[in-house]
Amino acid sequence: MRKRKNQQLAEDLAAAAARGYAELAEAELFSPAEYLPDETEPLSYAGYSYWRSSLRIFAKNKISMFFTALIALTLLFTFAQPFLPNQKDPIKIYNDETGIQIRNAVPSSDFIFGTNAIGQDLWSRTWSGTRTSLFIGFVVAVVEALIGVLIGVLWGYMRKLDFLFTELYNMFDNIPQTLVLILISYVLHPSLRTIIIALCLTGWLTTARYVRNQVIVIRDRDYNLASRCLGTPARRIILHNLLPYLVSIITMRMAMAIPYAISNEVFVTYIGLGLPLQIPSLGNLIVSGIDKMMDPNLRYQLIFPTAVLSVVTISFYVIGNAFADASDPKNHVV
Amino acid sequence: MDSNILSVRNLNISFTLRGDRFLVIRDVSLDVPRGENLAIVGESGSGKSVFCKALMGLLDANGRIESGEILFDGVDLAKVNSEKQWQKIRGRQIAMVMQDPMTSLNPLIPIGKQLTEAIALHHGQRGKAARDIAVGFLNDVGIPEPERRFKQYPHEFSGGMRQRAVIAIAIACMPKLLICDEPTTAIDVTIQAQILELLQSLKKKYELTTIYITHDLGVVARIADRIAVMYAGDVIETGNSEDVFYSPSHPYTWALLLSMPQLAKKGSDISSIEGSPPNLKDPIAGDAFAPRNPQALKIDFVKRPPLFEASPTHKARTWLLDPRSPKIAPPIILSQHETHAGQLGISSLKQDPALCEAEREVGKKPILEVKNLSVCFGKGKKRFAAISGVSFSIYEGETFGVVGESGSGKTTLGRSILRIYEPSEGEIYFRGKKISGKIGKAEDMQLTRQIQMIFQDPMSSLNERAKVASIVSEGLDNIGKLTSATRQEQVLKALREVGLRTEYADRFPHEFSGGQRQRIGIARAMIMAPEFIVADEPISALDVSIRAQVLNLMSRLQKERGLSYLFISHDLSVMRYICNRIAALYHGVMVELADTETLFEKPMHAYTRSLLSAVPQPDPRLEKKKVLITYDPSEHNYETDAPSWREVEKNHFVRCNDAEERKIREMYSLQANRGNP
Amino acid sequence: MQTSMHNVKEERAAASMGARAEKMARYLVKRVLRSSITLLLIITAVFLLLRLMPVEGYFNNYEKMSPTQIRVGMANLGLDRPLPMQLKNFFAQILKGDLGVSNKYRVNYPIIKIIKSKMPLSMQIGLMSVGLALLLGAPLGILMAKSARSKSKLKLWDKFGTVVVVLVEAVPASVYYLFIQIYGTELLSRIMPLPTLFVEEKPETWILPIFSLSLGTMAWCAMWLRRYMVDESTKDYVMLARAKGVPPGAISRRHIARNAIVPLVQGIPTTVILTLMGSLYVESRYSIPGMGGLLVDVIKRQDNTVVQALVLVYSCASILGLLIGDILMALLDPRIRLSGKGGAR
Repeated sequence: MRKRKNQQLAEDLAAAAARGYAELAEAELFSPAEYLPDETEPLSYAGYSYWRSSLRIFAKNKISMFFTALIALTLLFTFAQPFLPNQKDPIKIYNDETGIQIRNAVPSSDFIFGTNAIGQDLWSRTWSGTRTSLFIGFVVAVVEALIGVLIGVLWGYMRKLDFLFTELYNMFDNIPQTLVLILISYVLHPSLRTIIIALCLTGWLTTARYVRNQVIVIRDRDYNLASRCLGTPARRIILHNLLPYLVSIITMRMAMAIPYAISNEVFVTYIGLGLPLQIPSLGNLIVSGIDKMMDPNLRYQLIFPTAVLSVVTISFYVIGNAFADASDPKNHVV
Repeated sequence: MDSNILSVRNLNISFTLRGDRFLVIRDVSLDVPRGENLAIVGESGSGKSVFCKALMGLLDANGRIESGEILFDGVDLAKVNSEKQWQKIRGRQIAMVMQDPMTSLNPLIPIGKQLTEAIALHHGQRGKAARDIAVGFLNDVGIPEPERRFKQYPHEFSGGMRQRAVIAIAIACMPKLLICDEPTTAIDVTIQAQILELLQSLKKKYELTTIYITHDLGVVARIADRIAVMYAGDVIETGNSEDVFYSPSHPYTWALLLSMPQLAKKGSDISSIEGSPPNLKDPIAGDAFAPRNPQALKIDFVKRPPLFEASPTHKARTWLLDPRSPKIAPPIILSQHETHAGQLGISSLKQDPALCEAEREVGKKPILEVKNLSVCFGKGKKRFAAISGVSFSIYEGETFGVVGESGSGKTTLGRSILRIYEPSEGEIYFRGKKISGKIGKAEDMQLTRQIQMIFQDPMSSLNERAKVASIVSEGLDNIGKLTSATRQEQVLKALREVGLRTEYADRFPHEFSGGQRQRIGIARAMIMAPEFIVADEPISALDVSIRAQVLNLMSRLQKERGLSYLFISHDLSVMRYICNRIAALYHGVMVELADTETLFEKPMHAYTRSLLSAVPQPDPRLEKKKVLITYDPSEHNYETDAPSWREVEKNHFVRCNDAEERKIREMYSLQANRGNP
Repeated sequence: MQTSMHNVKEERAAASMGARAEKMARYLVKRVLRSSITLLLIITAVFLLLRLMPVEGYFNNYEKMSPTQIRVGMANLGLDRPLPMQLKNFFAQILKGDLGVSNKYRVNYPIIKIIKSKMPLSMQIGLMSVGLALLLGAPLGILMAKSARSKSKLKLWDKFGTVVVVLVEAVPASVYYLFIQIYGTELLSRIMPLPTLFVEEKPETWILPIFSLSLGTMAWCAMWLRRYMVDESTKDYVMLARAKGVPPGAISRRHIARNAIVPLVQGIPTTVILTLMGSLYVESRYSIPGMGGLLVDVIKRQDNTVVQALVLVYSCASILGLLIGDILMALLDPRIRLSGKGGAR
């Protein structure tokens, strides 16, 4: 406290000294001062930038930074793994010297995560599976964002469409997403495409609603009206006036879509509608791990893929939320 | 018993925002005499709200009292630190009415229940007994049919009625001190006048001491016994109402009073305060107002002035009261004005007739004509007319005012002219060409250049994610491709024209204060070289000291470019300064149209009269004499005798029926006019 | 414009006091109508989608059947007629309360009977888990909100709660259900003998499935209750209540909690449905003879008619849940959104 006071005093003096009045004799102090129009406007936060501020707040959050680092390393490793030396094939069935499959071998220096029931290398299968799952996650996130933003912006910005879209939304929203997922996966052949289609069909609805609600908040702000008065076409208003305000919501939704897509892949696989077994995915790995889970010695077959899966989903979830917080202007210095 | 119910001594309050500490109340000392009405006046950020919240222990979590005493009836409230202790003070000792009646009631609980909650706490009554007391209070605050209203939810009340309910709740606590935090800022002028009257009568009935926070000097003049002026977290002047209005001592008070458009002479610039208040993050040496004060002394930059006594009731924190300082005469303020109370208590300032004449010369050719305009919204049963059958013309170089309250359709009118809303009926002509309905693309572009808009809220009217340069140049970019050099040149020219530094072009809107942002908005419109501007409440969201800057800028641009304005506002006193003619809108219908001074002298429609009497003037003697006129639409006898739009005297139109016309003529002893149907 | 519209609306609301009941009734009719249309669409969509399926899902021993046999079988099922006709028959059948017969799961057994036998257990488990979820989630949410608003730096409850919520929300249910089953069984086995699978007569085997199922709802409830309570506590009316001198406890109960609960109440019926969905996993993991287990079972066996029927039942339940949620909301909040703009949910 005391230190603070001293510091303040020093600053006071410095401010006064800038005008050079502090040293004046008392009598002289009571004379008119110079009027400097430039000093009437106090210095504001020069160089404030929305994105820089968002990033700064995000970077301040230690937990989200930890997960960002974690997911960065995981992603890097996942995609670099096939190019590392001494990696095994995820599909190949390994036999020992006698020609018998190396079934359910516990983790060792040879097979880092052990082998599965038919002698495939779980280490390379896990990373390959992670790549598949991440691929599904990213594709779904991108498609969802594209469709969701397109529909959401139209829904929110075009007043004439609002009624129609809202009624449609209320109708579609009544259909449980899980059922759509099951039904589509059930009707179409199990494949990467099917699973992506099924996941995309459900997720964009929520994104569209989020975007629409945000658009409605900013649509009626006067600056959009100003743009209309200046003859700015609707397309440009959407691109310049609305989209910059939607970036945070879109990023957040995309970050959240990845864990949901990955979880749903596991779910669909579990009920028997997932990817064919020859494509390693986290869902496939976990479901085959479940068969072995009651034997404590073989539980590693479940634990390794679930550990990787959890790291990925938790990271994206935490990062998405932290980013949403950081990009909320309410949390910036006004 | 101490004559002061509240004595604040050397109070310091700080706020922490993202690690930065802001000293928002700086060493404030203030006395509140028992039974008086103290008004705390200040602009946004002056700390007036924080100060009052501290009195009730309602500071936000990041604020804290650093030092000082708040002695309330002998108890130091600065030392109260538990919610338990506060409960004994809140309500039964000090109660509060907040600014926004729309949000200050719990939406899920009926009004009556929110009232009996307070009654249970402070009267110890429940059930039927509490209900009876509650109905009594609802009656006291002028809510009709209190028994029925008791059961209703907040959303079934209008804004004014909600504020009455909030006041009922505050009064029901039977407090000794009532704090009103801008209780009428969010409310229409005519309702505001009623609420102010109500507060005055309740104060008498319940022997309350009240602290009234406001930024509106007119309101202060109407209600205050004593005034405290706050600037940058400090009380810089306190005194009786007349002391402060008629012989202000602090240069900030002078400047504040002088910057009121109500007191300015038409046609001449309003004296404005340049710049904006200091940033409270940095320490302030000396007098916080010094940098904006052209007559500041050197010592104002070095040493904080003590509270000097100008008279036993009047103190001010300025070195000017030090015997050693040179004598600086206060600029001519109210004391010099003729302050006779007119019939409606409005004519505190006579306009120079020569000036008015000179200005009327401008109006020769109509630039904009609105003919029988109606705009409807909604469909089916929900369809309603925001404007119905409005006609008028605006002449070149004229400032045409449209006055109205919320729901009057004044904003709809402005936006129809900007072709944002389609008229349901009627036409709009610009320079003789029809601009409503379908028009060609080239013509559309042309009109976009010719007609521009100035917005109310400088906070929401700029795109936060775009740099100033691209905001200002937006209109040009729509017209055609420009080389970046010409574009840049035009932007800088527009910025200079509105008095902004050219280096601001590369910054984002966040960095600017409200007044600067409003200038950026004006620059954005001016770069189109418009001929006609729709200004929708262009100064009502601005602080008092900033308003003058913007009004001066608008007048200057008008003179230099021969602009015509449609000036939309709810505040007649401001319009008197800037407008040549004024039209009054009531629920989408135009009820009166006249030259500004004629309207003020001879208001003919009952609604116009009530508006004139409701607008508070920054002149306490006048305000205290004023009789409030309330308008009741049912006073017309329109079923049997239908009204029409009549020119009762030359250039003075009013909507009335035969009987009313006769009455008006009688009142102003006018000759009957045969020429009009 | 905004304000003027608002005012007009408000005046109308104030003018028509007795119209509240009427408005409510109109809202209900509209809402039920919308639900019915949705249901109609879903039934049609499900029906059409299932026509895309290979026909083997309609026969128990498809591999051994001759083409003629298949044709006769299809004709018996009415599947050879034109699609609109089939759809019409399907609707007529549903209206009679007939969901058809199973072709693989239990050959020629009416589906409605299968569902009737499975439903009670699923409902029991579902409701118990929702009850448990609210019992754990609401206090957790309130504690989190309290500690989030407290001035102390620690905010232990908030941190603890957040970790729980993140784990439950981010880790796929399929994964944590498994771990609860593995380690929960091991842990409980130390106290009492516990089979891994569900046995209806043994109450101790109910514990883990119900607990697993409740986690999702619990996290949801705690997270939103916390968020809404923190939001509400900064509102003006809370400040006014404090200024009246209302004690903090009463403010939390009468004002903050009450307003925070409204949006949650709207969601509760839907979470019941989500819980039923979750039971797909849990029931099949623990071999509980309920609806969820049944769906997984018939999907694996590709029994088309049963899949179709179950999807319909689940859709009905979900639509009903949302309907009840909206009605509850309308009852609790006097400002019911009559505009039908439910998009803000």
